[in-house]
Amino acid sequence: MQALLPRFRAAHTQVLGVSVDSVYCHLNWAKDLGGISFPLLADFHPKGEVARAYGLYLEGAGITDRATVLIDAAGVVRHAASVTPAGQRDIAALAAECERLDGEYSGSVEDFAGPPGLPEGGLLYVKSRCGFSRAALLARDNLQLSERIAVRNVSEDATAREALVKTSGSEQAPCLVIGGDTIQESADIVTRLLEATAPV
Amino acid sequence: MIEAGKKAPGFSLKDQFQREISLSQFNGRRHVLLLFYPLDFTPT
Repeated sequence: MQALLPRFRAAHTQVLGVSVDSVYCHLNWAKDLGGISFPLLADFHPKGEVARAYGLYLEGAGITDRATVLIDAAGVVRHAASVTPAGQRDIAALAAECERLDGEYSGSVEDFAGPPGLPEGGLLYVKSRCGFSRAALLARDNLQLSERIAVRNVSEDATAREALVKTSGSEQAPCLVIGGDTIQESADIVTRLLEATAPV
Repeated sequence: MIEAGKKAPGFSLKDQFQREISLSQFNGRRHVLLLFYPLDFTPT
């Protein structure tokens, strides 16, 4: 899925995953898959409400069907299909379906912005055994920013620690240095990364 | 299952980064492909 995202983007299509898990499960799952940059939505409260509205909640099993719904930019369903929970989606065929819709669609759509709006040369300073550092790292990896933001561990690298103090005036980590900005709180770092990669 | 030609039911849900994402925010801007999953930790 992640590999074909450029095709969906070119077809003006936002991909959204939906399941009845909580957002915390999603974050771990996304991490296990090596980062998922499209939104995974938690249909959790009340459980399965959105799946039910689309006729895709399997009441007996308490799970969502493995199904795909394509909605055009005017909010009309163009394609809906289930492959059953045990089945497997044909992602390339879905990409072709989106391209076909986009080709024949006459209403207005907006292009996706190019690569995430982050300056080049970002540096993320982290500490070992630090939950705040982990949170910042997790956001970087999940948002597919590993190639754009390098990591320096100040617990293991004295040169990096000196560079951090020189840049930010303190040893506080995590610290994101990017495009002339120095961002010290992990929540602010995550917010900065999310803003740069927001869906719309 | 919902059928082609019907108006898609609106929704607003949180994603893995705690962002509130609603269907309406894509109106007039993007098509939307919803991938429903039985559970996490299963293939696409």
